[in-house]
Amino acid sequence: MPDALAVQRILLRVFVVFAAYLAQVGLVDRMRLPLVGPDLLLLVVIAFALVGGRQRGAQLGFFAGLVADLLPPSNHLVGLFAFTYTLIGYAVGMIDTGEETSVLASFAAVAGGSVAMVLVYAGLGGLVGDDGVTAHATVHSLIGTVVYDVILAPFVVPLVARTARRLEPVGPRTVGLH
Amino acid sequence: MRNRRARLVLTLLLLTAFTLITLDYRKSGALSGVRRVASSVFGPIEHVVGDVVHPIGSWFSGIGHIGSYKSENKKLHNQVSGLQTQLRLQNREHQLYLQAVKLLHLTGLAQYTIVPTEVTAVSTDLGFGTSVTIDRGSANGVAVNETVINASGLVGRVTSVGRTSATVELADNDGFIVGCRLSSKAATIGQVTANGAGSPMTLQVFDTTTKLVIGEQMVTLGSGGRGDPYVPEVPIGTITKVLPINGQLSQSAEVKPYVDFSSLDLLAVVVHSPPTIKHDSLLPASPSPEPTATVTVTATPGTKPSSSSSASSSSGTTP
Repeated sequence: MPDALAVQRILLRVFVVFAAYLAQVGLVDRMRLPLVGPDLLLLVVIAFALVGGRQRGAQLGFFAGLVADLLPPSNHLVGLFAFTYTLIGYAVGMIDTGEETSVLASFAAVAGGSVAMVLVYAGLGGLVGDDGVTAHATVHSLIGTVVYDVILAPFVVPLVARTARRLEPVGPRTVGLH
Repeated sequence: MRNRRARLVLTLLLLTAFTLITLDYRKSGALSGVRRVASSVFGPIEHVVGDVVHPIGSWFSGIGHIGSYKSENKKLHNQVSGLQTQLRLQNREHQLYLQAVKLLHLTGLAQYTIVPTEVTAVSTDLGFGTSVTIDRGSANGVAVNETVINASGLVGRVTSVGRTSATVELADNDGFIVGCRLSSKAATIGQVTANGAGSPMTLQVFDTTTKLVIGEQMVTLGSGGRGDPYVPEVPIGTITKVLPINGQLSQSAEVKPYVDFSSLDLLAVVVHSPPTIKHDSLLPASPSPEPTATVTVTATPGTKPSSSSSASSSSGTTP
């Protein structure tokens, strides 16, 4: 029986994912920054995964990826982002942060997550023959995503992590019913 | 225990995602249907968001463009003093107005039927393929595969349509190909391929005897069919560098597109184009021709060689 707090948690996540995606396509990507701009959605997934652990990270990653795949504008094969974000969410969730997410852990998660993101997407995209994936674009994407995501991380990650923690009654590693 | 459950969830989700990829790859209707629904719901939302945050975004991107604004400003100062007043009026409405005037002129020349539209959202897909949401959809007459242009030239192609919004794939995406025709007298046919944002496009001609010239302009060929859904005569770009032939059969060159893909705003979807359009009528005026001098030397035995010279000029395109 879903209690009010659980519903609140779910609604918060849904809202943050949609807000991040709209901010990404409405503001960030519109600026057509040199190289490839930051990925706000990835930062949100990483933040939630750091707080919530691997299962929560994978679930949120899947939802975020689905949003990125289905909502306009998108031209790639549906499921690519769903797959990638799920994997990243799970991987970042494996990082043991204890009670407080240390700055170093956040940065490591963001830098590692960005690189992994591009590589998984490029790998899978190349495998299934998505038109946009080329070696040249992959290199471009790697440099750009890592640079921008690391720059934005101090702003986005703590904010999202703090909001997530406020509604999280138990941490991922304490014993309890999930 | 928890780890095993998490791994199970992960496997399940990854399999679902992979199934989606397979479904979409096989072009089943279900997923594009979902995309259409999402487009109908989120298109208007993105429109509102775009209107709200546009001033913020243009402030940021203005920072990056300061250098080019300065040099352009200097150039205009030297030309006409009246243009200084116009520059001071540079706000979004004025820019849109100028773009609209140019766009109407362009479409009037070709007699295209267009649906004017604005960009509301952009997605770079991690840099692997940029697509753009526009604020017109099937309710306004926009359909899939229609050509999208702006005041400068070819912008892209519509790839999916919702009720009041649509998605456009940009022409500067890596792998974008369009058939073209050069504006030279020979009207050579070729193919322009894009190599990603920021990189010049590549032109490949098929005729082995053609010699490419820097500054040559090209427009879309519009040969029709699924492989080339573009309307003809849309300006694409100019040749900036002729590439060495390197064992290929025909020449290739670097092309600078007319459209500035980093600042797309007012666009138009061409919903109908007339059966014939005067060739090259949409291109910007070519630079005034320079007279070329040819010197011929004739020698007859016993007399000193006489020389004659003649000047000829190549004509540009006639409107």
